[in-house]
Amino acid sequence: MSAPARHPAAGAGGLELRGVSKSFGAIEVLKNIDLDIRPGEFVVFVGPSGCGKSTLLRTIAGLEEVSEGEIAIGGRDVTDVDPSRRGIAMVLQSYALYPHMTVAENMGFGLRMAGRPKAEVARDVGAAAEILHLQLLLDRKPGQLSGGQRQRVAIGRAIVRDPQVFLFDEPLSNLDAELRVEMRIEISKLHRRLGNTMIYVTHDQTEAMTLADRIVVLRAGRVEQVGSPAMLYDDPDNLFVAGFIGSPKMNVLDARLEGASLILGASRLPAPALGTRADPRLDVKLGIRPEHLRPARENEPGLPFTVDFAEFLGGTTYLYGQCGPDLSLVVEAGRGPVPAAGTSLAIAPATRPTCASSTPRAGG
Amino acid sequence: MSAITGQALAARPAVSPRRSRRRRRDLAGLLYVAPALALVLFVLPLGMTVWMSLHNWPLLGLPRWIGLANYKALWNDKAFWRSLGFTAHYTLFATIGLLGTGLALALFAQGTGRVVALYRTAFFLPVVIGFASASLLWAWLANVDSGLFPALFEALGLTSGRVNILATFDPAFWSVTVMVVWKMAGFYMVILMSGLQAIPADYTEAARIDGASALQRFRHITLPLIRRPFALALVLCVSGSMLAFDQFYIILAGGPQNQTVTAVYWIFNTSFVSFRLGYGAALSMVLLVILVALSVVQMWLLRDKEEAR
Repeated sequence: MSAPARHPAAGAGGLELRGVSKSFGAIEVLKNIDLDIRPGEFVVFVGPSGCGKSTLLRTIAGLEEVSEGEIAIGGRDVTDVDPSRRGIAMVLQSYALYPHMTVAENMGFGLRMAGRPKAEVARDVGAAAEILHLQLLLDRKPGQLSGGQRQRVAIGRAIVRDPQVFLFDEPLSNLDAELRVEMRIEISKLHRRLGNTMIYVTHDQTEAMTLADRIVVLRAGRVEQVGSPAMLYDDPDNLFVAGFIGSPKMNVLDARLEGASLILGASRLPAPALGTRADPRLDVKLGIRPEHLRPARENEPGLPFTVDFAEFLGGTTYLYGQCGPDLSLVVEAGRGPVPAAGTSLAIAPATRPTCASSTPRAGG
Repeated sequence: MSAITGQALAARPAVSPRRSRRRRRDLAGLLYVAPALALVLFVLPLGMTVWMSLHNWPLLGLPRWIGLANYKALWNDKAFWRSLGFTAHYTLFATIGLLGTGLALALFAQGTGRVVALYRTAFFLPVVIGFASASLLWAWLANVDSGLFPALFEALGLTSGRVNILATFDPAFWSVTVMVVWKMAGFYMVILMSGLQAIPADYTEAARIDGASALQRFRHITLPLIRRPFALALVLCVSGSMLAFDQFYIILAGGPQNQTVTAVYWIFNTSFVSFRLGYGAALSMVLLVILVALSVVQMWLLRDKEEAR
């Protein structure tokens, strides 16, 4: 038991996790997670399926008890507090709208159960409905709503609770692509309008990048990196984050540092500046985002590249191909003629490579 | 496959192929079950009963057409209406006992785990015993000289001296009702449990976040969502209780003082003790009409109110 006095993220709606672990039997799903979330921040938990991001959200909500560690919301230790008394509201993946109640009854359920007077419930429901443009749907049952409308009702139910922290558990995964983009913008607008702390779980890195003030990348129950979308994109801490953030994926190539040169397959390139350099000869992983490569201009020196497949996306074209044996690359090409499969061309760096990390040399 | 469908579509643009295929499948299904279900099991016996109820039909000798005379006679048959009244009384308490206990057992036994599974099996076990066997067992347990209950009640100090619990109406009635609950509650547990298990855990979680207590969740989320299986259980339970016979025949033989003669018991007496088969058939028809009416009312009360899911 630690005194609840020592909480840096103590403002209304701030959130603090200290050494949170969660095990289901012998399986440890969350491993010693520390996290501070500032009031009003939009934080996205992202990671591959099974990484523990939903479990982490559910422990914050109080739907799962932590095995170890402490959770504080708004400076108050809520580790053993009932979900309804944590000052949170949650939008579940399935929305979980009660099918036998109308939209208005769904949204006002929590207030009614708390014994609030009818007029007050109607007023709060009305206010939330106005924010989400649900006024005309209040008498419908969930079964009569479209996916996007159900989504809005679920958010409305959360708003009515007037929480310090909103929790979203993959709320857009049941919507089609077009609606997903639309709702993403609405949620972002809602965050700006309400100013509450929001924690959002998704496996979709695009959603994470577009919504978040800060992203928490999780893998196998551990936090891999926490940072703003730009920071995670430009300066990933490790190969996992580098591969997970960004679409198409960052190219990660085996390379070798020799003095001021970088040996990449048969080519020799000028090496980027590294923070630390213990050994003049070092095996490294070279990470280059597709947009940092481009087809070379005529007579410009570059790496030979054979196109396997070209993905035309309108504004840009991604070229998937080989740069010699065992050296697959994705290269972003601007608007222009789309090269056919099998075309040989040269590629050059658009800017410096973004990331290089050292790996232990094989065989010592 | 798709090419064939495409051809069919082109050939008959007026009729939706999916619809006609479904109709054909429905017809085929009906065709298979029609003879067994409709004719042999229902229409034939029903027609036979109606036919008999319009006759003076002794066991030996020739039946004689008497039109609606049986129905006129039963209007003034006090014993029949009394038996019907007792049946309603029994149905009320048996239904409350059965569905209440069934729901409680279902809530208790819906979880996972080996111990819970063991309980589930234990609760269901009496259901597979025949009604007659269970009644015999109970009659023996309640026997004033050699049974367990009178001796047990005496030892516990609930009764002063050895009391024959089957000799007065209230203890006799309740001992039969308790037997029925013991025997059949497991059946309704299974029906209601299927409903409980069909409720997604999400609803409970959402309600927990909404701050609803366990009791409020049960009242406002669980109960409305098991309405359909509950309606099934209710209709089965009411119609089963309205047709009660074995337990009162075997344990109480209609006693004490013919106070526990149920409607079916009275029909049995009329038909197979007094051998007035035609009159018994008329009584059966009245009971059938009452049962249908009761079921319709229950279904209407528990209907889906324009709930589209």
